Amino acid sequence: MATDFWTSTHYKQLLDQEEVDVVHQLDKDRGITLEDFKLIKLHMTNYIARLAQNVKVRQRVVATAVTYMRRAYTRRSMTEYDPRLVAPTCLYLASKAEESTVQARLLVFYIKKLHSDDKYRYEIKDILEMEMKILEALNYYLVVFHPYRALSQLLQDAGMSDATQMTWGLINDSYKMDLILIYPPHSIALACIYVASMLKDKDNTAWFEQLRVDMNMVEKVATEILDFYDNHKTITDEKVNAAMQKLSTRT
Amino acid sequence: MADLDQLLAKKVADRYLKREVLGEGTYGVVYKAIDTKTGQTVAIKKIRLGKQKEGVNFTALREIKLLKELKDPNIIELIDAFPHKGNLHLVFEFMETDLEAVIRDRNIVLSPTDIKSYLQMTLKGLAFCHKKWVLHRDMKPNNLLIGPRGQLKLADFGLARIFGSPDRRFTHQVFARWYRAPELLFGAKQYGPGVDVWAAACIFAELLLRRPFLQGSSDIDQLGKIFAAFGTPKETQWSDMKYLPDYVEYQFVPGQPLKTLFPMANDDALDLLSKMFAYDPKARISAQQALEHRYFSSGPPPTEPASLPRPPPKRESVDSKPSDFGPTVLSPTRKSKRVVSHPEGYVEKVDDHGVGNERSGPVPMSLDFSVFEARPPARPTINSADRTHLKRKLDLEFLIPEEDED
Repeated sequence: MATDFWTSTHYKQLLDQEEVDVVHQLDKDRGITLEDFKLIKLHMTNYIARLAQNVKVRQRVVATAVTYMRRAYTRRSMTEYDPRLVAPTCLYLASKAEESTVQARLLVFYIKKLHSDDKYRYEIKDILEMEMKILEALNYYLVVFHPYRALSQLLQDAGMSDATQMTWGLINDSYKMDLILIYPPHSIALACIYVASMLKDKDNTAWFEQLRVDMNMVEKVATEILDFYDNHKTITDEKVNAAMQKLSTRT
Repeated sequence: MADLDQLLAKKVADRYLKREVLGEGTYGVVYKAIDTKTGQTVAIKKIRLGKQKEGVNFTALREIKLLKELKDPNIIELIDAFPHKGNLHLVFEFMETDLEAVIRDRNIVLSPTDIKSYLQMTLKGLAFCHKKWVLHRDMKPNNLLIGPRGQLKLADFGLARIFGSPDRRFTHQVFARWYRAPELLFGAKQYGPGVDVWAAACIFAELLLRRPFLQGSSDIDQLGKIFAAFGTPKETQWSDMKYLPDYVEYQFVPGQPLKTLFPMANDDALDLLSKMFAYDPKARISAQQALEHRYFSSGPPPTEPASLPRPPPKRESVDSKPSDFGPTVLSPTRKSKRVVSHPEGYVEKVDDHGVGNERSGPVPMSLDFSVFEARPPARPTINSADRTHLKRKLDLEFLIPEEDED
């Protein structure tokens, strides 16, 4: 779907930061803070990416899976929907929705390979059951637009084709935040180009000005990305583990 | 937690009062139901879970994904979806009949403005899909459903695909054969909305002829039928043809004038038809351009959907009529010839306007009407062999080692 973002259900479902940053009451009861909530989602984003590497799917599938996972947690609690099951299920569902189906048993094979920890061990039937629940949580909206689409064209236009890899990496990292739930994908793409320009010391002001886009939004997204990188240095395994500990153990 | 989920599912399912089974769809049973919340009649598709433990059926998921994005008066509405007893259920608006039933019904006469109206609604639905970068890929009269007020809507998006990203390769094994565009028959993997327009042209032709236009018995024969009608394409008409994967040279045949093939059509209709049947997909008219063609703007306007002739709804018309003690109408309200025969040999109820002196009850057969109509040839659909093949090929990355589930 190329041009029709503005009439898509993705556009209609965009949320405000405040709506995304709500910790479900059941999770609060377990002592999960907003920071924990973000950490767990970040950790699960990485988990999805690692699984995806093993089952070999396109980056687009990863991006869609992470979007599903993040959307699901704007409506469901981690207490009832264990992230360690939701993450692989979202990858499974995204692979189907993006027409690159991965078999559930292959996924289960790699789950076991990546994690000896019992808390991650889910079977095919768990994934299939959760698939139906995720569909419901997503209200059956499955089409997601991503910032990758127009990237090479934009970079070429900006005379920054040499920064393709860097920008692509920045976009990948943007899924470690909730940006895809809040901003139109092209704003995220432009913000990544903006950050890449800064890192490459290239003055692209003139190019951005002639684009006729909401530069305030682009700069806002860019700032969030930079803040995220700053913040990321302070994230330690201990912090992640502590957050994960607060999740329920399976009954 | 499991209990809570079950409770919720039950509640949603309780919203719908289940009625009779309507049929077996591509991936499960379809039944009629009443939405107690709105009083609306709906059709519910219960999606069978595959034997192979692959969760929600891939085809169903495709349909859900696309129909949630495609909201248009000429596209079937997906009203709701819910899990119930481990199966996913899709709730659609209820449609009374389909275009195939209209075309086949010998009691129905389609006037030129009726045809114009059906074609216009088909193209409107299609133009909307294409605007949203969706290819339908299974256009045929049977998938064009007709609602209670005569509105025609595109349905069955199980083969549909988003064609946004350029250079993606798709399978050419789509569409029922009679509606397949020549580029698909020559094995094209990169194709666009033109394939749907070709199929729409076949439907247009079928509305005019009241029988499927190009009834090939194999892919090779299908191309033969196409060329016999329009002539073997010349280099100037379609220069890229010879580069297609399955291209074979056909002996040159001249083709026939459209006026001979469709004596009942006026010049505007023929001009549009010829543009929709253009060999070169790049030269073929788009659905949107077709809607802007003179055919729709000149001459008498398309019939209002509500006034379009269509077969009597299966049961209701019979059940609700006996209390009607009005004057007996002797002549049909429409210029329709009502032959009370059915290809299968049983006698169908005549609707009240048709034959005046009838009470309810079956019409006694005094004449053998079967001479009027030979049983129509069986329509090829995407058969199970094709389907297995299709599953393997849909689309390159879709790896599935299992056998066909059907």
